[in-house]
Amino acid sequence: MTTSSSSPSPLAGQTATAAALEVDDLHVVYTVRGIDRAVLRGVSFSVAPGEAFGLVGESGCGKSTTAYAALRYLPRNGKIVSGTVTVAGRDVTSMSTSELQSFRASEASMVYQDPAQAMNPTLKVGKQVIESFTLLGQSRHEAAKSAMEALRKVRIADPARVMDRYPFQLSGGMQQRVVIAMALACNPKLLVLDEPTTGLDATVEAEVLDLVRVLRQETDAAVLLIAHNLGIIRSLCDRVGVMYAGKIVEEGPSGEVFDDPQHPYTVGLLRSLPRRGVRKTEQALSTIPGILPLIGSDLPTCVFVDRCPLADEICRTEVPPMVPVGVNGDRYTRCHHSDRVVEVDEIKPGVDITVLAPSDTKPDVLELSHVSKTFKQRNLAVPALVDVELGLAEGETLGIVGESGSGKSTLAKTMLGIESADDGGVVSLDGRAVAPATGGRSAEDKRSMQMVFQNPDSALNRAWSVRRILMRSVQKLTGIKGEEANKRVETLATHLRLTPRHLDLKPRQLSGGLKQRVAIARAFAGDPKIVVCDEPTSALDVSVQAAILNLLADLQSEQRTSYVFITHDMGVVRYLADRIAVMYLGRIQEIGPTDDVFHGPNHPYTEALLSAIPSVDGEEKVRIRLDGEIPSPANPPSGCVFHPRCPRVMIGICDVTEPPLAEVSPGHAMRCHIPVEQLIELQRKPA
Amino acid sequence: MSFTDQPSGTGMPPTIATETVMAPVAPDASPSERKQARRENWRLIRKRPAFILGCAIVFVWVVCAILGNRITPHHPLDFRGPINVSPSWDYLFGTDKTGRDVLSRVMAGARDVLKIAPLAAIIGVVCGVIVGMFMGYLGGVLDLVASRIVESFLALPTVLIGLLAITTLGNSSWVVIGVIATLFTPIVARTVRSAVLAERDLDYVTSAKLRGEGKLFIMFREILPNVTGPIIVELTVRIGYAVFTVATLSFLGAGPPPPSPDWGAQVSDNYNSIVAGFWWTTFFPALAIASLVIAANLIADSVQSVVEAS
Amino acid sequence: MRRFILQRLASIVVTLWLLATIVFLLVNVLPGDVGRQILGPFAPQVEVDAFNTRLGTDKPLLEQYFQSIKRIFTLDFGDSYQSGTSVLDIILPALGRSGKLALLAFVITIPISIAAGIYAARRQDKFADRVVVNAGLASSSIPEFVTAALLLSVFAVHWKLGKAFANPPAGTSLFGQLEYLLLPALAMVFAYFGYIARMTRAGVISALMSDYTRTATMKGLSSNQVMRRHILRNALAPTITVISVQIGYLIGGIIGVEKVFNYAGLGSTMLSAVGAKDIPVLQGAVLLVGIVYMFSTLLADLLIAYLNPRVRLEVTR
Repeated sequence: MTTSSSSPSPLAGQTATAAALEVDDLHVVYTVRGIDRAVLRGVSFSVAPGEAFGLVGESGCGKSTTAYAALRYLPRNGKIVSGTVTVAGRDVTSMSTSELQSFRASEASMVYQDPAQAMNPTLKVGKQVIESFTLLGQSRHEAAKSAMEALRKVRIADPARVMDRYPFQLSGGMQQRVVIAMALACNPKLLVLDEPTTGLDATVEAEVLDLVRVLRQETDAAVLLIAHNLGIIRSLCDRVGVMYAGKIVEEGPSGEVFDDPQHPYTVGLLRSLPRRGVRKTEQALSTIPGILPLIGSDLPTCVFVDRCPLADEICRTEVPPMVPVGVNGDRYTRCHHSDRVVEVDEIKPGVDITVLAPSDTKPDVLELSHVSKTFKQRNLAVPALVDVELGLAEGETLGIVGESGSGKSTLAKTMLGIESADDGGVVSLDGRAVAPATGGRSAEDKRSMQMVFQNPDSALNRAWSVRRILMRSVQKLTGIKGEEANKRVETLATHLRLTPRHLDLKPRQLSGGLKQRVAIARAFAGDPKIVVCDEPTSALDVSVQAAILNLLADLQSEQRTSYVFITHDMGVVRYLADRIAVMYLGRIQEIGPTDDVFHGPNHPYTEALLSAIPSVDGEEKVRIRLDGEIPSPANPPSGCVFHPRCPRVMIGICDVTEPPLAEVSPGHAMRCHIPVEQLIELQRKPA
Repeated sequence: MSFTDQPSGTGMPPTIATETVMAPVAPDASPSERKQARRENWRLIRKRPAFILGCAIVFVWVVCAILGNRITPHHPLDFRGPINVSPSWDYLFGTDKTGRDVLSRVMAGARDVLKIAPLAAIIGVVCGVIVGMFMGYLGGVLDLVASRIVESFLALPTVLIGLLAITTLGNSSWVVIGVIATLFTPIVARTVRSAVLAERDLDYVTSAKLRGEGKLFIMFREILPNVTGPIIVELTVRIGYAVFTVATLSFLGAGPPPPSPDWGAQVSDNYNSIVAGFWWTTFFPALAIASLVIAANLIADSVQSVVEAS
Repeated sequence: MRRFILQRLASIVVTLWLLATIVFLLVNVLPGDVGRQILGPFAPQVEVDAFNTRLGTDKPLLEQYFQSIKRIFTLDFGDSYQSGTSVLDIILPALGRSGKLALLAFVITIPISIAAGIYAARRQDKFADRVVVNAGLASSSIPEFVTAALLLSVFAVHWKLGKAFANPPAGTSLFGQLEYLLLPALAMVFAYFGYIARMTRAGVISALMSDYTRTATMKGLSSNQVMRRHILRNALAPTITVISVQIGYLIGGIIGVEKVFNYAGLGSTMLSAVGAKDIPVLQGAVLLVGIVYMFSTLLADLLIAYLNPRVRLEVTR
């Protein structure tokens, strides 16, 4: 007999002061074609005034729904079935429309994921910010003054100018600041942030997070932060709730939960992240078997039971109890077997791969020499790539890191021939120069270099079955036909752990992880020497990402394929890559073996980039803040393109001449005027 | 220009709001589950009342067109009956000023419309798909030039051109079909072009190029299967418009000559008698025209909802 | 903004040239004697020759082509075969009369359709929405001449409201003219209400689902405030496009209505030209309508561009 999952707020009575946000046994459903599908299955937590609470989880866990439910903003087919949401003592779930309106205007605010879309494109920014104040009853004149003040508070240097602009004229970081300013206008008791920095560049993201941290100190608003990036949660939130399939499975102080997880899911989640600088050669990443449940599926009493290594009968029939963890009474986990958590997960061995250095008899598998790419836009020449030189050995993984405008996508396309390099640039495979455009390359060349794309939804033809997708690639790339081709397709599928059943499905019937496997299988159809991976796991959930990364590492070790791995995730690149190249505005700023790049000394840009990454492990970092925005590639600064933002700029040199890419230690090169000894000194970590 | 443009907004918080109107299929579904989902989709469209009504009406007229004189209560051209009788049991739709049974004439008139309109629409759509595909995928100068030509065709009012064409080329079904098909091609091309543009930059196309696929393969084996949705919608809408235009043209005198039971011609012959009180001779053919166009649009609307949801 | 206008004007010039070419081809596509074709096989050769000379069809094709092009830009369409008067003198006033009818139709349709579209969008999928959508679907499916005939029989004949012969006598007051023009205009309203309402509805629904609407609602604005301040300015762009495009279909529809109500507009003029095989008049009418259409779409595009700050500020992206 299953007991009802109603439960009081676990830490009720904990705080003497009234909680700013209290969610009590919230059940939310979406009605799809007449059937109610459960999205939140009894979520309870509370946030004290001034506290920051993070909700973390993968897709479909319901964290966004919880955030919106806190302000009672559900889609047309969503409804709160039971449970309450109380903000500063007021019951949001039973408010009338007008009460809700005034509540949203003065007590609670929200910051959203895509700031560009969040503002009305046809109204000037100023008008929209002023609106937030007139809603509080201020006159137009007062509101205009308040608006200027609000923009100044979010560290916008020239508020008058920004107010006169339209949203599309502002950069992403600036847009998000404006949205934050609007949210703080009413001095809310509750501030909800839903993935506020997803989609922003790493350095911009760090700025926004810094801002939020500072602003928190200036108000006593309770903050509810939704994110899938655990590093952000840790760096910003006091407490965290881990969500899975509409329930909170573990809750507690963020540092403790991440350092010492107690729920099997949290354990699996944290172990699937490449943490603490672990490399692919040391261990494989942990994966959680099974797949994430669809929103609204029917689940047994413990929502995690189908994927849990500790599961047994009791988990299916009885609701797992809330087990307190530790002595402070501020942590708990929902598990029948919390005492056996240590059994979860063993460390799996890493891959064995030795990269041979290039020699005269065995040239680099891929070499780029003086490769540039300039786009012509309406009379402007936009240099997307400038004088790139790099080499890739057999079996090696070269990671390419950079923010928007860095040229990393253009680099991938130029290597493959989707874009043609400018005259004078040479792309060579195995020492032979190949045609700049794919069309001019031989079948053999096409076969040796393939690509895995970022978004598996658009990378696979929706109208084709998986079998056809793979078959066509096999036929076209290898020339094999008929029964032999069929066999090869099946071998490929097995290699990538796709079952024969999968072969007959269409892409839309597969999950993200499976789709990406098909995409990888397709790239490997012709036994390529080089696979260019363009952010292959960015669109995937963390646990799925781990499986794909393991797969890529295994394939590399078996086939001795070389990878060009483009990503913005430093943890992933550190795990997978043997060498790393850091790009900024179309130029390689630093390139070297992974350990050297992460250890230092670094180019000032790399330094700032590394300091911007919020760490899941709570490492202390010196934050290097970069002023200004990433310049447009059409208008690169003079001399060293990084100089306007460089905290270590030397005026007179850096703004005049562009530094060459020079070696600072064997295999490690940088484009910087500062002598490396000085960099070592300047970047020495405080003892 | 589809009647039935529906918005596609960026979703509100959770995606399930805009998610499946169709049967959701779990990932890792078996082939039988997948087939069941496909069947469910068709079942869902069959359940929509708009679709059922539309198909029913079309079915009735198709039967009339095929069987023609064999099922009419009286012969459509038989003018030996009583003149100007209002609707009664013998003559359900009444008789006209020359004693012909209106019901029979309306039933027989279905053939004239259904001979011309669907054919014109289909030819227009096929040509439009080819032109639109080339414009959308190849782009460049071809697209620029073709777009200008398309725009100038769009400035031509179908009915006027039809009249001009009839005058210079003579009054035959093929002229009407030709005019309609020619004027529909740019409209369809425009729709197909935008659908193709949306597909062209997707990664599966890039992947095809990396395999060395030729342009024609990419256009017609990779991209085309993904744009069939809008094409089918466009086809059904065009058929509606074609019926509309054919009726209008024949009303204006450009259709088959008397004593043809063509609907537009019937309205044209008889609207002057309305003033004298003989409304049925105009009303029923007019109703027939309206019913067929509405039916086509109902079907188009249902198809569009299904296409959008998948 | 300026660059946008210049681009559009250049585009119009090219399109008009193409238009003239298409019409030229249509008229001259059949080889052989145009005059013979029009006058029939029994007319004496002398007349046919004279006809051809008058029409200019005896000159070499290329020369005729250039003259055609010149015509569309100088608005000189030659003389009517029937009456000998300049084509422009015939069709311009006729266009004016049709224009009056069309204007009345639009003045009625646009506010009603937009209001209905917004009303339906706010009650999406509820009964009121379905009524508006289906009514629009039905009414726009009915050809204008059918609606005209029905209106004629119900109102003018049965209830004796309005006039069966819709030509207001010269000198009638503006208000008096309304009585004559109302029924035919209503026939047009039925036809165009549906599409405009549906497009408005689609635009508003799309705006309702957008992120900026969510932001506005979460700020604490009431739904009316959200509609007024944020949605309308974003949702109306597609409606403006639709209205301008409808002007193209309008011409076809209005001919039927004019015939039913015996209204002496462009439609009637064209119909009699068809009967008499008066090609210059037909040609001129088609070209003139094309020009009007092009300028109305230009106007619409300008309006939309003006409302869209991205275009107005000429952002190069």
